[in-house]
Amino acid sequence: MKENYLAKWLNNELTEAELAEFEKTAEYATYKKILDVSADLEPPKFDIEKALDDLRNNRPEKEVKVIRLSPMKKVMRLAAAVAAIVAVAYFYINSLDITVTTQYAQQTEVILPDASEIILNAASEISYSEKRWDKDRNVKLEGEAFFKVAKGKRFTVATENGLVTVLGTQFNVENRKDFFEVTCYEGLVSVAYNGTETKLPAGTSFIVINGEIQHPETPNSSVPSWMNNESSFKSIPLAFVLDEFERQFNIEVETKNIDLDQLFTGTFSNTNVNLALQSISTPSHIKFNLEENKVLIYAENAP
Amino acid sequence: MDNVCEEEVFSSLFKTNSKTVFNYIYYKFGNEEKAHDAVQEAFVKLWENCAKVSPDKARSYVYTVANNMYLNVIKAEKVRLKYADKSEKTTHESPDYVMEEKEFKDKLDRALDSLPENQRTTFLLNRIDGKKYAEIADLEGVSVKAIEKRMHLALKSLREQIDGI
Repeated sequence: MKENYLAKWLNNELTEAELAEFEKTAEYATYKKILDVSADLEPPKFDIEKALDDLRNNRPEKEVKVIRLSPMKKVMRLAAAVAAIVAVAYFYINSLDITVTTQYAQQTEVILPDASEIILNAASEISYSEKRWDKDRNVKLEGEAFFKVAKGKRFTVATENGLVTVLGTQFNVENRKDFFEVTCYEGLVSVAYNGTETKLPAGTSFIVINGEIQHPETPNSSVPSWMNNESSFKSIPLAFVLDEFERQFNIEVETKNIDLDQLFTGTFSNTNVNLALQSISTPSHIKFNLEENKVLIYAENAP
Repeated sequence: MDNVCEEEVFSSLFKTNSKTVFNYIYYKFGNEEKAHDAVQEAFVKLWENCAKVSPDKARSYVYTVANNMYLNVIKAEKVRLKYADKSEKTTHESPDYVMEEKEFKDKLDRALDSLPENQRTTFLLNRIDGKKYAEIADLEGVSVKAIEKRMHLALKSLREQIDGI
């Protein structure tokens, strides 16, 4: 039978011979029945008048518009201005960076949009843009933080001292006055400092004190000591150790007749102030006098 | 020359075409609400552009707008068409015959639901709305030959389903 004969049949386009042949087939009865029954089908009721009324309420009024043009314009202008202000405010608020700050004697954890984690040590601040995060994993850091970066695109930590970039790893960045330290605990970290780039494999550090690059010490733990409520130092000038003490306990340190450049190696507790002061003073041969929110540190042999 | 912006021309265009637009979208998606929305959307657009669309182009204009409106609608939705109850004709048929008819109609309904959307739309526009193949081709933006093919395949698979092949 010819192509699409069923369609031709419906349209009465078959010749008499073709029709006779078709009527003889076994399927013909059902086809005929489909035709009869489908002719009785009805779609849901559609009320044309009501739909037209709805439409008249929906559609913009043309003729009236001409007369009302100028008062409408004022209203429209006002509406447009309000809409613009709202839109700008919305985008402005949306584009603001998220900032997390810790005070002295405080730590906090930040979960980034891609589930990367930042643990923020005392007196530190990070900021990042949630909106642009997908495109740009960029965190600004002041102070010290430990990063567990989820695998993905380049992740950048921007500090005043240098840029730290990684793909997915765990590392610590400390960025204090005259002190910059990056320690990599897992993966590979790249540090850009003063125009030179240094690659840090797991278990290495990069330290800059007073603008001088120090020979890195190898960390012997999987997380920075401060995350275990201790502060550890290896050959670090006492001044920075005391700065860290101030940040951890929110206690003001005063010194008298002390060589702040002497190097300190050791660990102090971030939870017990007396123990911490002993840990600092004993190896350095210095004495301390703790008052409420203030500690005086002085030379052992001084009066 | 007549202008679509004139209320009378517009109303008469609406009266002749709105039901087909409604049915067309309904056959496609089996969703009355979408079909109502499509009618409103299509004719509001026509009204907004009444100066640019000539009356003889208006029909295919509203079909195109209605069609485009749901271009991106997920096609996977299972269609369950419902048909309005035809006022019961008083029959002198035997109860057995009426039962049989009812059964056949249910089978046909189910078979229609499972047709591909373009075959079902073509079939119902022709059977219910009495649209000619050329008109459906125009509406769907394909050739008459393609519509014949759809019609043929629609009938074929309806028959196969009903006869349980």
